[in-house]
Amino acid sequence: MKSFAYVNAAGEKEAVAALGPERGRFLPLAGGMDLLALMKDYIAQPDRLVNVKGLDRAIARTPDGGLRIGAAVTLTQLAESAEARRMYPAMTDAAAEVGTPQIRNVGTVGGNINQRPRCWYFRNEEFPCLKKGGSTCYAVDGENQYHAIFGDGPCHIVHPSSLAVPSVALNAKFRVVGPTGERVVDAGEYFQMPDRNLFGETVLAPNELLTHVMLPPPGAARTATYEVRFKQSHDWPLAFASVALSMSGDTVRGARVVMGAVAPIPWRSPAAEAALTGKRLTEEAAMTAADAAVQGAKPMTLNSYKVQIARTAVKRAIMKAAGLKTV
Amino acid sequence: MTEPYASRHITLNHCSNLRHKGMYVTDTFASERQEIEPTAYWCLCTQKSFGPDGHPVSPGDCKSSRRCCEH
Amino acid sequence: MARRRKKLEAGSWKLEAGTQQQPPPAAQAAPPPAPQGPPRNWPPVADRTLIGKSIKRLDGPDKAQGKAKYTYDIIRPGMLYGRLLGSPHAHARIKGIDLSAAEKLAGVKAVLALKDPAGEGANGKAFYQGDEIAAVAATTEEIAEDAVRLIKVEYEPLQALATAAQAMSADAPAVFPKGNVSQQSLQQEGDVEAALKSAAHIVEGTYSTQVQTHTSLETHGGICEWEGEKLTAWVSTQAVHGARDGIAGSLKIPQTNVRVITDYMGGGFGSKLGFDYQVVVCARLAKLANAPVKLMLNRKEEHLVTGNRPSAYAKVRAGVDAKGKLVAFDAETWGTGGAGAGAAFRVPYPIYVFPSRRQRHRDAYTNAGPQRAFRAPGHPQASFITEVVLDELADKLRLDPLELRMRNVLSATDPSQEDPSRQWRKYFPMGAEKIGWSKRHPTGDPASGPIKRGMGCAGNTWGGAGSRATRANCQILPDGSVLARIGTQDIGTGTRTLVAIVAAETMGLPLTGVKAEIGDTNYPFAPGSGGSVTVASVSATMRIACENARDELFAKVAPALGVEPSALAAKDGRIQVKDAPSKGMTWREACKLLGVQPISADGAFGPGLSSTGTSGVQFADVEVDIETGVTRVKRIVCVQDCGTIMDKLTAESQVYGGIIMGLGFALYENRILDRNTARMVNPNMEWYLLPGMSDIPEIDITLVDQPDRGPVGLGEPPVISTAAAVANAVANAIGVRVRKLPLSPDAILQALNEERTGGTL
Repeated sequence: MKSFAYVNAAGEKEAVAALGPERGRFLPLAGGMDLLALMKDYIAQPDRLVNVKGLDRAIARTPDGGLRIGAAVTLTQLAESAEARRMYPAMTDAAAEVGTPQIRNVGTVGGNINQRPRCWYFRNEEFPCLKKGGSTCYAVDGENQYHAIFGDGPCHIVHPSSLAVPSVALNAKFRVVGPTGERVVDAGEYFQMPDRNLFGETVLAPNELLTHVMLPPPGAARTATYEVRFKQSHDWPLAFASVALSMSGDTVRGARVVMGAVAPIPWRSPAAEAALTGKRLTEEAAMTAADAAVQGAKPMTLNSYKVQIARTAVKRAIMKAAGLKTV
Repeated sequence: MTEPYASRHITLNHCSNLRHKGMYVTDTFASERQEIEPTAYWCLCTQKSFGPDGHPVSPGDCKSSRRCCEH
Repeated sequence: MARRRKKLEAGSWKLEAGTQQQPPPAAQAAPPPAPQGPPRNWPPVADRTLIGKSIKRLDGPDKAQGKAKYTYDIIRPGMLYGRLLGSPHAHARIKGIDLSAAEKLAGVKAVLALKDPAGEGANGKAFYQGDEIAAVAATTEEIAEDAVRLIKVEYEPLQALATAAQAMSADAPAVFPKGNVSQQSLQQEGDVEAALKSAAHIVEGTYSTQVQTHTSLETHGGICEWEGEKLTAWVSTQAVHGARDGIAGSLKIPQTNVRVITDYMGGGFGSKLGFDYQVVVCARLAKLANAPVKLMLNRKEEHLVTGNRPSAYAKVRAGVDAKGKLVAFDAETWGTGGAGAGAAFRVPYPIYVFPSRRQRHRDAYTNAGPQRAFRAPGHPQASFITEVVLDELADKLRLDPLELRMRNVLSATDPSQEDPSRQWRKYFPMGAEKIGWSKRHPTGDPASGPIKRGMGCAGNTWGGAGSRATRANCQILPDGSVLARIGTQDIGTGTRTLVAIVAAETMGLPLTGVKAEIGDTNYPFAPGSGGSVTVASVSATMRIACENARDELFAKVAPALGVEPSALAAKDGRIQVKDAPSKGMTWREACKLLGVQPISADGAFGPGLSSTGTSGVQFADVEVDIETGVTRVKRIVCVQDCGTIMDKLTAESQVYGGIIMGLGFALYENRILDRNTARMVNPNMEWYLLPGMSDIPEIDITLVDQPDRGPVGLGEPPVISTAAAVANAVANAIGVRVRKLPLSPDAILQALNEERTGGTL
């Protein structure tokens, strides 16, 4: 890896001051689970790392009855938080499924949400792909079995974050600080499609930091995340889904259905949400919503099987939220 | 019973630098010739699957007609 | 493209039902003569104190505590770190190599170009990604890594062949001088066409297996240190003597000037038998820099250039008669072993009797790292293809696939079952009982819901004989200590412990009374640890060396006890008279009779102490989620023999390891090359999927001890049948045949969407 300078940021202000507007030159370092691997592979070659592990690493109740999760909270901390688990199982289940215990012990909430794509063309330095300033998305005619089944490109990554998907389903808000102060961004607006932002995956400017994930009060919502992965140890989901269902008795009053590992951003399905709204939670309703969720999927040459897996993930996430048997 | 896929068919007519696994693990380097056998070959000089002349090595290739052959 | 066809030459198979497969006499060099000497035996079973018991490996605590230094761990004073620059292109002409920027980087001590722009063939070209272009040695790993990126290489990228299909297509570019596809070779027995006409049922299909990389946890490489003209090389190798041959031969220096040491070794699986290119480069860097250099490959290089199990494709027609006797197997086969290397495997798998059989094979050369021997070369591929065909034939017959195997497995006609290396007819029912085969449903789990359960089975065979070239040395020192030295190496299987077990058993001492020294070319020759030859070679030879040493001690002791040496026995830490055990002395007292001069006795491999040939079966019980295509293996049952079990614990470990590796082959592992550039997209352990702890099922092992046979190798047999058994279990679960590996969710969902085969009984 290329040599770099190292700065310990005592607080948000110092951290932001140590970052700069140039993409990729100064990078925040939290758990390093993603960044160090990128650097070892010469995909990221920053001049300076800014240690932000010292930023807020608390999970706290907010006055409105929601939860405020510091970006430096580890995935283990989140997965094991009894309060978070009671309030937002969709979030804690997702956190508990990330990587391995070692990765969860070190990796952070902010790092998970902001990690770079796992696309193998992006990760291997021999492939000058679009995201690295090249002129080709190698996945289009290449090995796209794990790539996107939604979206129009030009880059066909799937978003890698496990927490991004329940964040969107739970209508989380992300607190972001930058040189001019702080702003709050809806999770649903935070992630950006490649046609809007090819070189990053979020609205975050190079000199901005994600500091907190704020979850609204859960109310009577039932939430769940269901992941389909091949290996049970240390593997990425083939597809997964997070759902948040606002209930009125047995009936769904409002639903948010979001799929992961199927598109360059967490992929919300208004059609599935509409299909659920006003329905009682049955396997049949879940199936109908799941079918609606994958309507309009545009699989690539090798990944049409992911449509079936995404459909199953949505169905089972809904059934899990409903307290029904998933298989 | 021997290994069902006996593959140790190097003879003294072959280049002395031709190598395969069997030569290091069994006690003979000449045995039956099977038309279909799974052995991987390498060259002592290059320690790769290509000989000093840059071409692949195999019992079929590493004979006296080859420029780099030593036997 | 230059694709040549040539006349077909018929070979023949020697394997017949109920007969031993014997190689014909060696055509050229004769094997070393078997040394003469007294008849050799292992102690009677009742007298064995160590052999066959569950003995923990002696170096286990050192390994667990990090005290055992693997090649990767060794640091020499003043040592530099070497790195290779591999080609980013799978096929390119090298037009120029400029080392100057790397040479100027502070900390860089040596830089070497490994290709020659003016060179012919592979000398001036990269034939696969990772093909070595240049190397550097620097004071730190990081500097070395940065330095290789400063080397400016001018490439002229050429069209690359990524797949066998591409290599075999009519419009493929001519990448390899003799054509991209080998001449067709043929082996046949009987009249296949006539036999197929006579068959009551025929199965036709195309079967395939993927490329698997060895993925040794310790990567390839070594540390080279020169002292004048003498080279000491610590090498991660399966063959210290083989590495010496390779290093000396390649550097053109006398073998006497090279010493190779392998104290501990982190896995090779066939990929570390020869091909010591990176060590030779390391030695050259060390010479140039005048300092010790460590050069270990990184994970990516390990996937790209250190070999693999070639892919296998088979277009099969197979027939069975109405009584369930197999009649014919006809296969057109091909595969790719990468750049210029073959990919052969032999079908049908030879434990089943197909009276008529034919195989026509071609190798497709691609721009990928060449194959190497990989744990049971050819067997898992052939086993998968044959065993899946057997299950399909059984379905056509509406016969239990276990029964079809019982009717057709080798030696099925021999009711006495005396051949201990052909016990499948005994093991299949044993395995069936353990897995609960009687509860197996016909093809297609009728249960409602998405989770389908199924069972499958497969058999295997291997050789595993000892090498007659093996030599060993045993010393009894005047203080009573015992040194057992042999130039074998412990590739993680427990060989060091095995040496100690043999020495201690022979001397009548506890394990702590002997010291095993291995992994050094200064010790007597032992073969490379491949072909599952180690346990037979080492046990037999060390037994003889130790008996020779012990007998010398008997000769010293006998006069003191007033008996003949032949009347003595070494037992329970004493030398005593066999018929009058109270008459004797302690081991320590006996050794005092040596004065100050130790006994040093050599041993040469001899007959009678080991055997060859193994048989085994495996059963799998799986669950498949047909809504996701995800397979979970619930249980593997294995019944396996290996002659005399020397150490039950390490023998079981071999089987666990083999089955887990077989599971990787069945479900997960797959070297994926980008079809357009022939670059590997998953040269890591993230997307090159390996079974993790939670993916490993319950594994039920029955090792059948054959205490009078002597040991037979067990390294290879347990990896052979797993994928075949799992594939058959998956088909039994979902009612659909998946004819290719790995059994990924993708492959399973695809198969479910395609034809339903086999039907329900």
